Order: sequence, then structure tokens, then C-alpha cells
Amino acid sequence: MNYQPWALLRASGHNDGSEYDLSVMTGADISGEGAGGGVANGALLLRFATAAWAGDAGDLAAARTEIAETMGAAALTDTAAVVALFDAIDRVADATGIPLEDQKAAITADFRSTIGIDDFAAADEKGYST
Amino acid sequence: MTEINYQGLPWPVRDDVTAAQRRAWERLGRVGTWLTGAERIAVAAETRHAPNCTLCQQRKDALSPNSVNGRHDQLGALPELEVEQIHRIHTDPGRLSRAWYRDLCDGGVAEERYVEIVGVIATAVAIDTFTKGLGLDLWPLPEAQEGMPSRHRPAAAEQQMAWVSTLSPQDAMGSVDEDLYGGRPTVGNVVQAMSLVPAEVRNFFDLVTHQYLPPAAMMDFATEYRAISHAQIELAAGRVSALNQCVY
Repeated sequence: MNYQPWALLRASGHNDGSEYDLSVMTGADISGEGAGGGVANGALLLRFATAAWAGDAGDLAAARTEIAETMGAAALTDTAAVVALFDAIDRVADATGIPLEDQKAAITADFRSTIGIDDFAAADEKGYST
Repeated sequence: MTEINYQGLPWPVRDDVTAAQRRAWERLGRVGTWLTGAERIAVAAETRHAPNCTLCQQRKDALSPNSVNGRHDQLGALPELEVEQIHRIHTDPGRLSRAWYRDLCDGGVAEERYVEIVGVIATAVAIDTFTKGLGLDLWPLPEAQEGMPSRHRPAAAEQQMAWVSTLSPQDAMGSVDEDLYGGRPTVGNVVQAMSLVPAEVRNFFDLVTHQYLPPAAMMDFATEYRAISHAQIELAAGRVSALNQCVY
């Protein structure tokens, strides 16, 4: 089982012949052209995830409306469920100090540095920054 | 007890999500493996309180969280070091360190309680972030139930790959926790992360299956299981993980 979303997004793209821009997940600009990284309605999802994480009620309300009107009401609740689950599972991984499996480290090495994951404090702490 | 219920919203919440959250909420108040029901509720309450803590806000803003000392704003139901654990995990998870964890243990936090507390925090965050994401008020915490913790520690659990002791899939075979990984010979490290307290793995991954995806669906790109696609799921998940500075 692979719970690493960056790797799974890339694998998803390989499956449907798309080359997604993984850097949008770590980027600061989530409103410009190409902000969605090539994923359908990606910019809306990034805005919702960012607002939910930050707890900004105004941004969150706007993001909810955007997703519900554009993608449908069920898409909104499924997105909220995923965002909330990863807000939690990240804490499980970080608080228990689990390492990234060697295989996952190998298949993500080419982009971790490029998109900034290796700059996270935990990368140095856990000893797998490239 | 207030039951989690999303009926009447303008957006439909899948029945299986509601059911999984109800199970998780009910388990939150039940006696745990190392914590009483009252302690588990206290952990959930402290988790909710952590964002209001001045010390945590100062640490979050500092170049290093270790450079800021002080006392946490706290509810007063738990020992100081467990409050430190809860607040740091909730407010600054990306900068936790092995040294910080060792300091907690050296100060008297029991490894088993530490892991169960992680499980309670994760459950509370998974449901609270969902609720807030939909613009709803947080659900009242369940009432604590009476009972004595079982204090079950898997006999073969040992420190092997994480800061905390874990039970490997191989060592789970033939033990009372044989069902923990569904008989799979290998599982991701995050699935093993809380295996020192097997009930927390079962509890949390029940939520994972419904709020995210079941294991078999994760790489089944030929089928879409949700109202959003695999790519959309992973984009939203990856954004949150990046904001949390989670490298796993």
C-alpha cells in the first residue's frame, strides 16, 4: 500500500497518459494559470485544501461554493473527506517517526528535491533528503 | 449522546462516511488500551484546544520550536508532558523530531500511551477537519464510558523502524493480532506506525477506508470509486501533506 499522494498522482497520470505538474502541490501560487497542475478542476481542489488546512472561513466558504457548483455536491464532500483524512494521517506518520520505505524513496527521488519536499524539516530529520 | 448526522445538508455525505465517523466517535469515548475513556476524551478536547495556545503560536512562528519556552494554555485534565505531545502534534507536526520524542519518554511519557494518544488525535482531526471543511459546528465529544484499559502490548512489538515500537506483519502472524494487517506479508510503514496499540490501527484505518480509499482501490486506476477521480484525490491529499510539511 502506498499512501504517498505525490507518487500516486504521478502513477495516476502514467495510467491515463497525463503528465501532471506535481509542483503545484507545494507551490505558493494556487490561483495563476496552470495552478491545477493539469488535473481537471485542480485549482479548485487546491484552493479548498488550502483553505481547509488554514481554517480560513471566508476562503473555505468560497471554495466550497466553487467546487459544488462546478464539480457537484458529492465531489465537495468527497474532497472534504480526503483533505481531512490526510490532515490526520500526516500526523500519524510524523508523530511516530516512520521512515519512507526504500522503494518509495527511490521512485520519488527524481522529484522530491525539485518540488521542495526535501526542504521540509522532516526530510532532514528522517535522513532522506537528496 | 449526540450522533454524527449529516442529513439535511445541501451536500450529500456518503452513508459509509457517516457510519465510519459514528463508529470512530463512539470508540473515542470507550475505554482504550492504555487510556481510560475519560482520558481519551480529555485528549480529544486538548487537541481541539491546542490552536488557541499562545506558546504553540509562538513556537510555530519561530525558526526553531525549541527556541521558545513556556507553559501551554491547557484544559488541565492531562499531565504536562502529554499536553506538550498533543499540542506539538496538532500545531506543528512537520517539525517533530526523534530528540523531542525521546525527551517526552525520558520525562515519563509511556510509549504505549504516546501511541494511543496519537491515535486519538488522528481520529479527532480526521472528523473535525471534515466538519469544519463543510462549514459545520464541531460535533460534541462523546461521553466517556467506564472501564479499565486492557494494557495489551503485542509481545513481539519492538523498536525496529520508527521512533516508537511497532509490530511487523511477519511478527503479527500467529499472534492474537494476526488480523491486524489482513494477513498481508507486507504493508506500508504508516499502517504499522501505531501497531504498538493494535486497536488504534483498526480504529483509524476504518476511517481511512471510507474517507479516502480501501487498500485495493488505491492503485486501481481503471475504476473510480468516488465522486472525484484518483488524480483529484491525490492532488488534494498531496496539497494537505505539503502544507503539513509531511515527507512520508
